[in-house]
Amino acid sequence: MTRLDVVLACGAVLAVLATARLLTERDLVRAVIALNIASGGVMMVLIAIASRAELADPVPQAMVLTGIVITAAVTGLALALIRRIEAEPHDEAGPGRQDDEP
Amino acid sequence: MMMAATAFDLVLVLALLASAGLALFLPRRSTAAVMFCVFGVLLATLWARMAAPDVALAEAILGAGVTGALLIDAVTAHPKAPDGSPAVRRRTHWLAIATLAAVIAVGIAAATLALPDSAPGLAEAVEERLGSSGVDHPVTAVLLNFRGYDTLLEVALLAIAALAVLSLAPGGEMPVAAEALDVPAPLDALTRLIVPVVVLFAGWLLVAGSTRPGGAFQSGVLLAGAMILLALTGRPALPPGSWLRLALVAGVGSYLALSGLTASGGRGLLVLDEEWAGFAILALETVLTASIAVALAGVFVASSRSSRLTAREAPR
Amino acid sequence: MTTLLGALPLVPLTGALVLAVAPPRRAPALTLGFGVATTALAMALIRAVGDSGPQALDVGGWGVPLGITLRADAFSAVMVGLTALSSLAVIGYATGSDRVRGGPMFWPLTLALWAGLNAVYVAGDLFNAYVALEVMGVSAVSLVALGGSSARRPALRYLYVAVTGSLAYLLGVALVYGEVGTLDIVAAGESLSAGAAATGALGLMTVGLALKTALFPLHAWLPAAHASAPSAVSPLMSALVVKASFYLLVRLWSDVFGGQAGAALPQLLGLLGAAAVLWGSGCALREQRLKRVVAYSTVAQLGYLFLLFPLLSGLGPGAPDSTASAAAWGGMVTLVLAHAVAKSAMFLAAGNLVVAYGSDDLAALQGAASRRPMTVMAFALAGVSLAGLPPSFGFVGKWQLMQASLASGQWWWLALLLAGGLLTFGYVVRVVRATYDRPWHGGPERPPTSEPARVPRRMEATALGLGVLAIVLGLTSAPILEFAEAPASVAEAP
Repeated sequence: MTRLDVVLACGAVLAVLATARLLTERDLVRAVIALNIASGGVMMVLIAIASRAELADPVPQAMVLTGIVITAAVTGLALALIRRIEAEPHDEAGPGRQDDEP
Repeated sequence: MMMAATAFDLVLVLALLASAGLALFLPRRSTAAVMFCVFGVLLATLWARMAAPDVALAEAILGAGVTGALLIDAVTAHPKAPDGSPAVRRRTHWLAIATLAAVIAVGIAAATLALPDSAPGLAEAVEERLGSSGVDHPVTAVLLNFRGYDTLLEVALLAIAALAVLSLAPGGEMPVAAEALDVPAPLDALTRLIVPVVVLFAGWLLVAGSTRPGGAFQSGVLLAGAMILLALTGRPALPPGSWLRLALVAGVGSYLALSGLTASGGRGLLVLDEEWAGFAILALETVLTASIAVALAGVFVASSRSSRLTAREAPR
Repeated sequence: MTTLLGALPLVPLTGALVLAVAPPRRAPALTLGFGVATTALAMALIRAVGDSGPQALDVGGWGVPLGITLRADAFSAVMVGLTALSSLAVIGYATGSDRVRGGPMFWPLTLALWAGLNAVYVAGDLFNAYVALEVMGVSAVSLVALGGSSARRPALRYLYVAVTGSLAYLLGVALVYGEVGTLDIVAAGESLSAGAAATGALGLMTVGLALKTALFPLHAWLPAAHASAPSAVSPLMSALVVKASFYLLVRLWSDVFGGQAGAALPQLLGLLGAAAVLWGSGCALREQRLKRVVAYSTVAQLGYLFLLFPLLSGLGPGAPDSTASAAAWGGMVTLVLAHAVAKSAMFLAAGNLVVAYGSDDLAALQGAASRRPMTVMAFALAGVSLAGLPPSFGFVGKWQLMQASLASGQWWWLALLLAGGLLTFGYVVRVVRATYDRPWHGGPERPPTSEPARVPRRMEATALGLGVLAIVLGLTSAPILEFAEAPASVAEAP
């Protein structure tokens, strides 16, 4: 197996597994972690593609840089939401709530 | 470059999978956060190994410095999920989901392995046009010139997210620094030593991006790390009041100004003439660095559990 | 001249930045100003495409394969126009009351959302589309979160779902790039040949975008998010945001993966769409709260859009020439427009009722028909269009789909279209009946309220205006259909 193959396959597996975890995880913070790992997996596939040729392909690398910053921004937003959610005494946004009507 | 997987590579990939698995499946939040930081460091090593130094730099700083800090901070506020243990899922549910995920993972892995080993990429195209791009480093050229429109949108996204996080800050007030209740003296001294050095390094990274790995992103996240460190030790880290918002939008604003100028006066939207492309890129990157740093540090301070505002929420 | 394509996302984006630093009392006027400017640009695009066909712009002057090209054909122009219409209406509506906005961030975020949407519609590059989707997503989540403490959990869930969809899409982009070495949509479509990588990419991108469009069974996130958002945000979500990912899905199927999808996957999409119609309508019939009824209605109505895939015979570049394809395409575009207009009207009407009665519980709306007739009428008219009754715009769309079903021999969709119409009629009538003067059974017992609060004139007028539009457009649908029936391919752009 070439290094390329190993990284490609690993990236794909990570991305899928972490995404599955993200969608099934109840703990909100761990869901954020799963999100970042899934993103890491996709980036692995991209970097592997970039490293194929003799001259490293800068376009997928630029894509990854952009993607990393986007994921960081999303993580920040998610954690800010989580902070507000977990500070509330009642957690469930059930259908019966009357206050805070939009 | 078709290299056989060396032992180091295999160990690295296995370590990555292991740390990811631990981060995803161990029950405690704090363990997960720490394992995630480990994962980030390993990932940065992998990037360096795969001829992606720009990405390695950014990942190392972000993974440990910014995202890592955000996560550790969130986790120390609530080491255990408030809901208690996760909802019990039936064995069959778990099995079904796991099987489905495994099947999909194998399928996608097969698809990635089916990729040709040396298909056309854009490396040569970039090389050819590098001379007229205004910088000497391919990744910087792609980010700030060839595909600058993507960078514009991405910086806009960062600004939007930061503004949204600010508005979510409890009470709507934005603390300028996290009030550290008890800063250990060594940490304080270390901070005073490190921060100036980091700022200098960030400045160097910014300028170096024209000719070697570096640039606005790496410099910006490094600066954000320094600002977070300042904030954690109780020092003012962010511009106060409305300067903060201005700093946040300055990056996108400059990019939009450049767009407007080139579209109306120049040869086309974001067409950078060879004569002044280098200058324009550097100027733009400087503003971007500041905006990226303020955005990421601002997100941290606004979400930080040690911030001056307590959990007693003001009504929205 | 084609700088127009760049201006479409960048002008509202500039507006968003200005609004982020501007003093709050200027915010409504500024937002309206930028909204009008962007709408003017949208009109200009429609005219440009109508006069000279698909438009293109090479940003940075680099062009394929290295640079990013923006493209717009008739389909893009229609979506841009729709976005302008809905956004401007909602902005005008939102100036009426701060109860429907959720907070001062409403103004910049709405403009940012508009920018993101436009960026998706003019994107001619796969990765550019990803970044645009994320801009749209972050703006949308933040807008939903303005709805208060009951909205944050749905907003977070929406965020996770949106980013999951984007990651799946991005992985697909990686596969495509790995295969053909370009990110340009047209160039990739020309070079991409069938294979494991292409199939994987198609599957990933379809799942990712279907998740963002809340296709059954991936729809669970939508009702809570759309219902708990502020009343001026919900129409933006249901009418516009979910359409953007659908647009991209269609664009990919026709321009990148043309003809590679086989026969099974389109039918599967159609079946899931059918399930969405039935399930969504069924849930709407049982909900006690008005905004949730409307949100489930969105899930149902989006299902119709996925009938495009089985009905379109041969999704390759170039004009679909059979009657089935033309009718299917026209029906889809019409339904996208009709749903957006009608759903906006519905959510705006719901917002009015919440302002008037303080709650959207159906049992609390007793008497609204006589006290807020304009609003209830708006809701009813929108409902008529959603149910597909003649002569509404919704009817035109459904009629087209029915013709496509017959022409392509897939008569089973006919049954779905009829059943869906009946169910829609059912939940619309149920809501309207709740607004009559007599106590409404089926909900908790509530004493009749005193006079409802005043609703600003412009808010009622906007809702009613959109409701009327949903009907009137049905009478003037021919030019729209003609404009939008241009083939989906953008390969002929100059």
